[in-house]
Amino acid sequence: MSLSNRFYLALFALVAGGLATPATRAGDAAAGKDVFKSECAECHAVAEGRNKKGPSLFGIVGRKAGSVAGYDYSDALKQSPWTWTTEQLHTYLSQPAKKANPGTKMKYDGLDDAKDLDNLISYLETLH
Amino acid sequence: MLPPTNRCAKRRNHTSLLAGVLAALLLFVTGTAQAIPAYARQTGAACADCHAGAYGPALTPYGMRFKLGGYTDTDGKGTKIPLALQLTETHSNPARGDSSTTLSEGDLYLAGRLTDQVGGFVKVEADHTGHNTYNTKLSSVDLRFVAKELKIGGKDTLFGISVNNSPGFNDPISALPSASFLGPAGITGSLLNPSSPNSLANRVIGATAYALYDDNWYGEAGTYRSLPTSQQDHLGYNIGGDPGRLRDTAYGRFAYMKDMKKQFFSAGVVGLTTKRQLPRSGPSDDIVDLGYDLTYQYLGNRDHIVQLAYVNILEKRDYGSTPLIGGVLARDKGIVHDQTMTVTYTFKQTYGLTFTHFKSTGSRDLARFGPSGDPDTTTNLISLYWAPFGKDDSYTSIANLKLAATWFRFSRFAGREDDIFFAPPGTQRTDARDLNAFSISASIAF
Repeated sequence: MSLSNRFYLALFALVAGGLATPATRAGDAAAGKDVFKSECAECHAVAEGRNKKGPSLFGIVGRKAGSVAGYDYSDALKQSPWTWTTEQLHTYLSQPAKKANPGTKMKYDGLDDAKDLDNLISYLETLH
Repeated sequence: MLPPTNRCAKRRNHTSLLAGVLAALLLFVTGTAQAIPAYARQTGAACADCHAGAYGPALTPYGMRFKLGGYTDTDGKGTKIPLALQLTETHSNPARGDSSTTLSEGDLYLAGRLTDQVGGFVKVEADHTGHNTYNTKLSSVDLRFVAKELKIGGKDTLFGISVNNSPGFNDPISALPSASFLGPAGITGSLLNPSSPNSLANRVIGATAYALYDDNWYGEAGTYRSLPTSQQDHLGYNIGGDPGRLRDTAYGRFAYMKDMKKQFFSAGVVGLTTKRQLPRSGPSDDIVDLGYDLTYQYLGNRDHIVQLAYVNILEKRDYGSTPLIGGVLARDKGIVHDQTMTVTYTFKQTYGLTFTHFKSTGSRDLARFGPSGDPDTTTNLISLYWAPFGKDDSYTSIANLKLAATWFRFSRFAGREDDIFFAPPGTQRTDARDLNAFSISASIAF
């Protein structure tokens, strides 16, 4: 393989690799806090250990699904293999919860506004 | 206008009516359904999740859903004691009469869930009646059975049964007078208004079946009967306020409500029909109430909440007799028209300002409505309050304190602004504004 061919192959790999990497969701965490208050706060607290109708969302990003101590999860979520990455949260919250996870106790119709969803997930990332 | 010789009898009637009006005003001061800490302990939620102002009463859409669900939501952490207490100290400063500072009311709430399908709300109220004495009575009752998470035509559907003691008290939107306790006070009023003389509130018992379809459509139908006067007496009520014997009573409600998270609106109609004997040995009156209500809430991120409500109820009366009262023959038909408009602004669910305009009008009846024969009464309620707790980030989210300054203003009473009781020459006259009252209250709930 000639040097120029190697260069083009490397360039292709770089571009292809870049395309395969999930796009960074650049949300505004401050705006996401407002989204949280209107969409989530009635059922979820952000304080550690404070469960409401839904479990605490403290440390939600990176947490294994169904793992908050002292919260009585549905079997559907307890048996889920998910970890709440930003991508998993995006998938889960962009559709009705009962469609994303049939059997869940969570009643939520999903967040249609993509910007609001990015902002919300950026806010959830700050909860550590 | 009545001939002068008949005015004395009418004036005596008005004196007792005035007492009733002032008693009704007390409802506004302390009788409103407030945030119940027992529910906060049961659900893990903060008071402010269900109420726009953290102490209540105005419900958020989430609070409406909790009520519709029969008060059964839970955080899943076992059984909680379904008890709460409220104490209220009030300094009252009427425009005429002595000021007073008293522990005006103590309330015990039995409120919470028994199972996933059964829950309720029961309030026992002790009201200061003067001379260090209190009258204890069974106040609002709402016991529910619900079947949740059903599907009809692929849409979420909820069915419920409510056994309650005031038509409209169990309404989810809570704009109807029986639920908001905001109804015009006057010398008459509709049966759906708990501030009316001889109202149904807490003196009847009934059951309604209701359904919520697709989260937006609400329908309810049921029936009521009045409690025997002996039972009213046992439950702490003066039988002078007996609503009379009711027959063939039907209640219906239909509403559309839309929760858009940052905003909410609803439009509904309500109806009540009954045959009433008041007094119980007397002839039967045919009474039909028909009303509609509109509400809107801007909730946003909950820092600035604006709530608007308008309720319009028209009551049609076909009287069973036309008695001669004070030498004047009563009319055989009449209408009463109650209107209430409320605007509330709440800042950070902690500070609130409420303005309510009440208007009670009706057809003239010299025999039934006193010397002027005109029942028209216009009042305003202005309330400013501070509720520092009951939010997720406050010192405590499951107990609360409220300091409130409240002003009642009468601009018209019984069709008149001045000399509302037709005072004889040389005696002190009473103007509508003499019924005004200012109060400051402190309430705690835990």
